Amino acid sequence: MEKLVLFIPFIPIVIAILIGFLNKKEHMPKVAIFFSSLVALLALYGTYHVMSTDEVIYGFDGLLVYNELSAILVPYVAILGLVIRKYSTKYMWDEPGYKRFFVLLNFIFSAIYLLVMSNNLIILTIAWQLMSISLYLLITFNVESKSAIKNGGWTMLVHKLADLFFIIAVILTYKVFGSFDLAHLGEKWLAMSQSGPIDDPLIYVTGFLFLFAAMMKSAIIPFHLWLPYTSEAPTPVSALMHAGVVNVGGILLNKMAFLLLLTPAVLNVAFVMGLITAIFASILMLAVSDIKRSLGYSTVGQMGYMIMEVGLGAFSLAIYHLMVHGIFKASLFLESGSLINSARKEPNVPKRLSHELFWEEKPQYNSMNMFRMVALFTVVPVVVFIGVKFALGEDFFHLNAALLILAFAWLTGTQLFLSFFEVTKANSPKVILTVISSFIIVLFTYEFVGLALEHFLYGEHGALLYKVATLHVSGTMTLLMLIAIMFIGWYFTYKQHFVGIPIGEHKPNKVQWRIYKILAKEGYLSDLYIKYFKVF
Amino acid sequence: MDFILLFLFAGVPYYLLFEKTNILGKEKIFYFSTLLVVTGIIVSNITMETVSMPFVMVALLASLFSLYKANKTRNLYKLAYYILFFNAPMLLMFGVKESTLYGISLLLTLGGIFLMGKYYERNYGSANYKSVTGITLVTPYAGLMLTIYLTALALYPPFPNSLMFLNGILSSEINALWYITVVVIFFGNFLIAVRVMAKTVFGKPNDNVHYIDLEPKQRWLHLTIFILLLVLSIVGLQELL
Repeated sequence: MEKLVLFIPFIPIVIAILIGFLNKKEHMPKVAIFFSSLVALLALYGTYHVMSTDEVIYGFDGLLVYNELSAILVPYVAILGLVIRKYSTKYMWDEPGYKRFFVLLNFIFSAIYLLVMSNNLIILTIAWQLMSISLYLLITFNVESKSAIKNGGWTMLVHKLADLFFIIAVILTYKVFGSFDLAHLGEKWLAMSQSGPIDDPLIYVTGFLFLFAAMMKSAIIPFHLWLPYTSEAPTPVSALMHAGVVNVGGILLNKMAFLLLLTPAVLNVAFVMGLITAIFASILMLAVSDIKRSLGYSTVGQMGYMIMEVGLGAFSLAIYHLMVHGIFKASLFLESGSLINSARKEPNVPKRLSHELFWEEKPQYNSMNMFRMVALFTVVPVVVFIGVKFALGEDFFHLNAALLILAFAWLTGTQLFLSFFEVTKANSPKVILTVISSFIIVLFTYEFVGLALEHFLYGEHGALLYKVATLHVSGTMTLLMLIAIMFIGWYFTYKQHFVGIPIGEHKPNKVQWRIYKILAKEGYLSDLYIKYFKVF
Repeated sequence: MDFILLFLFAGVPYYLLFEKTNILGKEKIFYFSTLLVVTGIIVSNITMETVSMPFVMVALLASLFSLYKANKTRNLYKLAYYILFFNAPMLLMFGVKESTLYGISLLLTLGGIFLMGKYYERNYGSANYKSVTGITLVTPYAGLMLTIYLTALALYPPFPNSLMFLNGILSSEINALWYITVVVIFFGNFLIAVRVMAKTVFGKPNDNVHYIDLEPKQRWLHLTIFILLLVLSIVGLQELL
């Protein structure tokens, strides 16, 4: 019975074929939603089976597997798929090529399921490339738009390069380790990592090739341009791209986690590249004038964090991060799409659901007492939490992952807060307390969910990944850096939102202008691509 | 034998002679080169011989020239035989079995492109695709078939070209020439296919063109090619695994 779960990657193909034969437009989404609900149910059943029995489901001669990673990701993709299909039913109704859209959407979902559930490098290679071509056809869905086609071409070029790196990495893996079976390879890599340092340069080359392939698909700088420039795709495609497609880099690195145990240098490079991407893309997000590109850079920045987490050995945290970010971004895209749609039909400004929930002043939440209570219930536990951590496991602070987890918790908390609450000069204590509270909530979630995930995905081997990745920065140093990051961040938040900035009086100096110009031009990277790579 | 195989597998751009002298028309050049490649496949299967590396290098140089020509042309007949010549280094470098399977997949796909050229000629006056843009919207069957052929040419799964290519490079010995050839052919096929796709299946339909979709008889013919491609994909997957 549980083997049925292994048919999940093929169900979207069945949907695509069925839709291909349908003539009535209204039947297409019905078929898609019915079968994708079935996929979601199957995925949930598979997850229940894996969690309750601690058994991994193998099938098709060991080519596919429903393991711990699939148990987390397949239901996520299935539910995301269901939401996107449901959303597309009305959103795409008036677009030419309704059938083509649903067919392509199902192909890309099939590729994602296959990628997540593959236990063989050949199957993984096929899924990896299948995703590239499906993505291209979806990005260029609006076939009449010149810019969509041009940007689609650029996207394809980056993805094709990723495909090439991936294929060569697979071939080298086979030549060095003699197998395509990922479960078998995992055991081999783990055993090798415990038997001492590795000095075979081919293993390092393989590790770097996998890393670069992942970086290209996850839009890490300098391979990022395809993501901010493809916002012209239909909104459901954008949602899928930002919530699903860019995550495949993280998924690949998780699948290759034990190979990376043999190559600490690869993890260190991943950390540095992720850090550069996170900082650069987050700044660009604020500097670019195009709102869609800004959203694209926001995703690039998040992918930077995700790769950084991998670079620190926090592989399970990367999975959690990509899922949470995916849900957040998909909801943003889908909501914005609905808003645009309703704005076209209604004379009044349409209301956002999240605005109604969080922004509108609610009398019961307006009192200062409420925020004091929130602070009391969050500040006290965090002090206890850090104390317990120090007392029971000082090692935690010796790992670089700690720095990242704490810093990320702060950033996410602040971002969450700034997204959902209006900030005014009058209620600064309320704001500060809420920022701290959101930081703590995010920190707790990260710590506990991250640990639980790590236990589930890697068991006792989770600690090994941190040890290999760590840069041996001392615990005191880690904490000092964290405190510095937090204070700098809070200072800027305060300056930005609570100190009145006189508009028009303040003139930036030449250096500031130059920096702004570089940022507004996206580091001249797009110009460089257009000028020197005239391919399409 | 190396010389014979180099010539048969389109390792030298002899189409230049035919194009300059008009001895053979574009269609006939395609038939002729296809015939020679098929002969090459048969000969290599009988003799079970592979070509030595210097000959692969010669084919690679000729292949780069064919890539340039394929990039310039807007004619689907010409495109079909340029791509055939462009892929010659792979046919020479792979082992006999891998080369045979890759050759069959390639010929089948190029056959599809050639038939699309025929369709263009019948409906739009010539096999030139320059002004006939946006066919996905106005002639969905033709758009679908051309998308399939170009996707297969761009070496994307689930089509057999990609699987046979992967099978071939997995089985061959890795050296410096291997890297160069694989990168050139991998990207060359992709660049040609995506550029053609951007100018045919995508784009705004031309108001001055009266678009006509594939007739039922032609649809069946293309469907047969598509099914054959899928069958080859299954064979390719079996070979790979």
